[in-house]
Amino acid sequence: MTKTLTIHIRSGTMMNMDTNVMVKLARAAIDKGYKVNVFGYGEGVMAIKEGQEPKRFPNVGKEVDELAKRGLVMVVCETCCAARGLRRGEEIKTTKIGSLTNDLSRFVAESDRMITLAR
Amino acid sequence: MTSILFILLKSPNEYSSLDHIAAIGGDEMTGAILFEDAVYFAVDRAKGRELLEVTDRVYVIKDDLAARGFDTVPAGFQTIDYPVAVDLIMEQYDQTITV
Repeated sequence: MTKTLTIHIRSGTMMNMDTNVMVKLARAAIDKGYKVNVFGYGEGVMAIKEGQEPKRFPNVGKEVDELAKRGLVMVVCETCCAARGLRRGEEIKTTKIGSLTNDLSRFVAESDRMITLAR
Repeated sequence: MTSILFILLKSPNEYSSLDHIAAIGGDEMTGAILFEDAVYFAVDRAKGRELLEVTDRVYVIKDDLAARGFDTVPAGFQTIDYPVAVDLIMEQYDQTITV
């Protein structure tokens, strides 16, 4: 049975390189045949904002979209989105605005390993 | 026996103490992966020794080391790439704890 990794990301895309670590770990895990979930909480929700155009940094949104097309499941906290003015319809289409209770709890239950990227 | 893989993301100067790693790790098999500015543990001799005293193995992400202008690590540290990091997380250790 395929093992599952869940990455819990709590840093924003422009705060530090945590979201880049998230992308690199997710890509390496997918390449190895693992199922990968990512749950964004706090500033971590900004990774799914559509239209990211960083000038000198990797485009995390674009990389998340590419990985989602290869099987990555990324869900972020609805309450955290609302607090930051990130509204439904502004998310990358291959991602989802969800919740701790419905999605993170399911990810935890389904996962073989979980890693948190936070400060 | 449980094995614990600690995840470090911050510079050594952002940790006032590594006692909590020793306390959580106890007698278990422990390792640490150094991402981002945590790779400076492999550059700062004093901080590096401190980390080696509280964990059994220390792995350094090669890309993050190179991004900061370093290419070698002292004895006790092992450079790895992301596929190996995934192996450690998924197969070699029972759980991860980010500190």
